[in-house]
Amino acid sequence: MRFTPVLQATDLLVATLLFCFPASSVALAGTYAFVTNQNSSDVSVLDLESQTEIRRIPVPGKPAGVAVSPVHGSFYTVSPDSKTVHRFSLKTCEEIAHALLPGGPTGITVAHGLGKVFVSDWYNARVFVLDATTLSHVADLATGSAPAGVVVSPNEGWFASADRDADQVSIFDLPSMDLRHRVTVGTRPFGIAIGPDERLHVANVGTHDISVVDPDTGTVVATVPVGKRPYGVGFAQGLAFSTDQYADTVTVYSLESLSPLNEIDVGEYPEGIEATPDGSLVVSTNWFSNTVSLINPATQTVVGEIETGDGPRAFGRFLYSAPEGLEPCRDR
Amino acid sequence: MKFSLFAMFALLLAPAITTMDAQAHGPTRQKVTVTKEIAAPPAEVWAKIGNFQDMSWHPAVHSSTGEGDNAIDATRVLTLGEAGGPTISEILYKFSDEKMSYSYRITDVNVEVLPVTNYSSHLTVKPGADGGSLVEWRGAFYRGYPNNDPPEHLNDEAAVKAVTGVYEAGLNALHASFTGN
Repeated sequence: MRFTPVLQATDLLVATLLFCFPASSVALAGTYAFVTNQNSSDVSVLDLESQTEIRRIPVPGKPAGVAVSPVHGSFYTVSPDSKTVHRFSLKTCEEIAHALLPGGPTGITVAHGLGKVFVSDWYNARVFVLDATTLSHVADLATGSAPAGVVVSPNEGWFASADRDADQVSIFDLPSMDLRHRVTVGTRPFGIAIGPDERLHVANVGTHDISVVDPDTGTVVATVPVGKRPYGVGFAQGLAFSTDQYADTVTVYSLESLSPLNEIDVGEYPEGIEATPDGSLVVSTNWFSNTVSLINPATQTVVGEIETGDGPRAFGRFLYSAPEGLEPCRDR
Repeated sequence: MKFSLFAMFALLLAPAITTMDAQAHGPTRQKVTVTKEIAAPPAEVWAKIGNFQDMSWHPAVHSSTGEGDNAIDATRVLTLGEAGGPTISEILYKFSDEKMSYSYRITDVNVEVLPVTNYSSHLTVKPGADGGSLVEWRGAFYRGYPNNDPPEHLNDEAAVKAVTGVYEAGLNALHASFTGN
């Protein structure tokens, strides 16, 4: 087993600013998407306001997993082919650190305050816990078979993984990392997200539905039918949006009634999806079409499209709202 | 032509090297798009290839049996090469005469026949140049070997090569059938 963290520099300016000025009081210059293009092995940095790609960053090893952490001034990517986690500076888009992991690193999420990064190991039923700054190995968590999507609750009180081949979700207490629940969900859960309802929304590829899980009781409170092969879930304006890979749609469902309301046609093979922090836009990536679709959640219509590299996945939290004057990739 | 195509598919039905969970898959989904200009109007080309139950236009397909015509969830079993040859089972999940497109996925194939898993595909006829057609065949799939560190004949490159070969063979034959070659 080989863990190889490499720390190249520190980049604390953005983190310092965000600690000093909570997000609500910072004027936002714009929101950017960091889209992992798995087939072309790079990341497209997209300015959602101007609807342009401002930078293409080469990332070896077919990256899919991604996580943005303004607190750490970083975005992280996971390349399963080269089994490497990369940490990049949001400010310069240069690499800060990388770590070689054993097994099949796949999904990634950040506990910003705890300073930890969680990376699922698709082949070995575990999650690696890494230091968010150095990417040095801290601990392993035992999950079910083939963990994929991973999330940390906003208050950093718990962590969860979607264990695809075990048809379950594993929930761990934080910071203790003690197992809290194993929850049986639908068939082959892959993507996982936490709604404003503080529940887990788990996309079941095999049963074409979303399991809504109460993380405290460890029970499934609802199962929402969506389009074929759901992959990711995003939230805006009291609604949830799932990407349906085989249907080429985004299904809209109500967070109140937990029932489907609408289907929106997007590009082919929609995958990663996330709403901007102000809830004004939902961004879904289209793996086959090499685009992202920009959805207005109020009208539930596609209002724009931006081209990416080949095979965009954006599997994780890939949006970043920059404080004014701190546009990513510009300070080089 | 026919013989070499069968050889391409055949790779002989060597015993599967290991028991594989049909649901598991490799880390990186692959995609292939092959297009071909055909010198015939889209409606004519669609009339030839736009029936999920008829793959006789593909030279590698010996026969097709199925249920459900062109309805969603219709199924077909393709026999490759010759009677008693290897088979591929498929299910239809989208079909539109209007868009001249159908989408299907493989429900069962031996990876020694076609080294892919979790395969889905779209076949579409679009308007081409000078009143002709542009036929587009696209596939999304994982490699045949679902676990880490695949053997060479079941890796990502082998999967892309095999699917590309199937699409090119089909579209080349289609092209020839409309030019009388």
